[in-house]
Amino acid sequence: MIDEQRLEILTESAKYDVTCSSSGSKRANIKGGIGNGAACGICHSFTPDGRCISLLKILMSNECIYDCEYCPNRRSADVKRARITPDEICELVINFYKRNYIEGLFLSSAVFESPDKTMEMMYETVLKLRKVYNFNGYIHLKGIPHSDYTAVIKAARLVDRMSYNVELPSEQSLRLLAPQKTKQSLLLPMKGLKDAIIYDKENKVRKNRVLPAGQTTQMIIGASPESDGRILKLTEALYRNMNLKRVYYSSYIPVVQSSKLPAVGAGLLREHRLYQADWLIRFYGFDVSEICGEDENLSKEYDPKCAWALRNMHLFPVEINTAPLETLLRVPGIGAKSAYRITEARRFAKLDFDNLAKMRIVLKRAKHFITCKGKFYGSQNAAQIKTSLLLAGASEVSEQLSMFSETSTALSVLTGEI
Amino acid sequence: MKIYLTDGTVTCFFTAVFDCFREKECVITSNPNIQLTFDSEIIRIESDGEKNLRVQRAINGYDKECADDVVTLLRSCDPLKEQIAFEYIKKLIQVKAPVKNRLNIPEVIEFNDIIYKVIGETHRLKGLLRFMESRSGALYAPYTPDNDITDLLTAHFAERLQSEKFVIHDLKRKIAGMYDGNEWFVGNAGETEVYLSEYERAFENLWKKYYNAVNIKERPHEKQMKGSMPVRYWKFLPEKK
Repeated sequence: MIDEQRLEILTESAKYDVTCSSSGSKRANIKGGIGNGAACGICHSFTPDGRCISLLKILMSNECIYDCEYCPNRRSADVKRARITPDEICELVINFYKRNYIEGLFLSSAVFESPDKTMEMMYETVLKLRKVYNFNGYIHLKGIPHSDYTAVIKAARLVDRMSYNVELPSEQSLRLLAPQKTKQSLLLPMKGLKDAIIYDKENKVRKNRVLPAGQTTQMIIGASPESDGRILKLTEALYRNMNLKRVYYSSYIPVVQSSKLPAVGAGLLREHRLYQADWLIRFYGFDVSEICGEDENLSKEYDPKCAWALRNMHLFPVEINTAPLETLLRVPGIGAKSAYRITEARRFAKLDFDNLAKMRIVLKRAKHFITCKGKFYGSQNAAQIKTSLLLAGASEVSEQLSMFSETSTALSVLTGEI
Repeated sequence: MKIYLTDGTVTCFFTAVFDCFREKECVITSNPNIQLTFDSEIIRIESDGEKNLRVQRAINGYDKECADDVVTLLRSCDPLKEQIAFEYIKKLIQVKAPVKNRLNIPEVIEFNDIIYKVIGETHRLKGLLRFMESRSGALYAPYTPDNDITDLLTAHFAERLQSEKFVIHDLKRKIAGMYDGNEWFVGNAGETEVYLSEYERAFENLWKKYYNAVNIKERPHEKQMKGSMPVRYWKFLPEKK
């Protein structure tokens, strides 16, 4: 059994990884096996920083041959090192899973000895977990750059999700801060896995399908000078070209002293705004160019949808009872669920303001952009609307600023559903 | 006003719906301690299989999910649940088509809210239920849910922990879902004493260690934690004890 000291070291080293979701896979249990996947994802606990625990997030080892500037486990850092064997991981996963502490395993590792050796060890672990321990719960495996692709694809047939972290939003920054990782070493395997997923889908492969829950990635925000516009452009490209399920942002935290890195963190608010924009791209039919110019940053005061609406006041107000779904989705304050509920309910009766309130649709922002049965309840002039929107968003912004103000800024409290 | 008193079962509820559907003003409840007014008259309903089936068939004719929805709703701890379901059924029969999405009707919103709470708690407890290993190797999970969802959870874990034996014990309702490695069922269960296996404490301690290590201390956000994991569930969580 693993001892508490090593578990602590290897967890502390893994905790800055943002991904935690366990959704997207409905892997079935096998006879005599343990575990299955829940497509909706299940959170098993929540830590005092507000993040959920869904998976046992752990590194195989934190002994790294790479020397990435931003990483607390880089070769030149003076930290306690530890390693865990495949059997120890399997035992821990099975016993935690049995007690319903976790939904599965998130396995990552520092690159020890060589990338091939690391990937091989990680593959051996998941193989053992699936075949010897008969575990059918969720497994998220981190891809190791520069490792042999055969081991990667073999592992991909066993696990539910894999992720290669693009680490930084541009090739230039990657070269500066993580010189041993190259753009190709991250994007090539990502592309390979995407093609394998598509192949399996087109050929209706059912057994040992590659990555049923797809791929994700993560990048650090604020350690390098890229604008929000650039970051979102990259995000959009990753969704389009790599079919990623999620792009995670982790705002930079100055845990490491270096002349190449900024001395202060990026702040939770920036990360929050990026996630909001990310949602608009994925679920609300927005293009990046509508949300944010190439070299611009997102507005601090307004959320991206509000900011877009204020720039496009000529499109509003829209009539709740007739506007198509795509238009409703663009009204600030109306989310995907609300928009759906409105389109369903209005088939049977004309909705007025009272109906919307009873349906628990938040009208704080929306009232300036909609009419109900032709009636308008918002403010008439633009200045008033702006003030009122600022007030509506103020609680959110001030809370986040004060919470993470000086000492350290934040990683996401917005861990993820898909 | 007539008060139709059911025994809390689904069959009895549908029987009551059958009996009082034509009444102008009446209340269906399973709560025997209901507050009475001076003109109220209590009518105890005996379950009737035939009436139960006829009502289910009638409502499913208009919305094939309706009976299932009512069954879900009746798991709730809400004291007005029978009345809310009755009002919903009346609307359904009046409209003669599914009313689930007609959110302009207040009765529908009320009905949906309760279903949402029951399903929400089931989902939440799929994550927050904690098993401990007993000396015999069987797993034991005590808990006190708001709603009566033990059978839903037992079915979920029977699929997941196929080759284990386990007991999910609802201490509030004194019932338990049991799975013996083949089949599961729910039965009555009073107080029990559990002898823990010799590894139990060790894994519990590893879990607590993990819980503390994965937290980022510099960024406290207790409000969010408590929002997602309400304090009333904490007493059975080793990491929160």
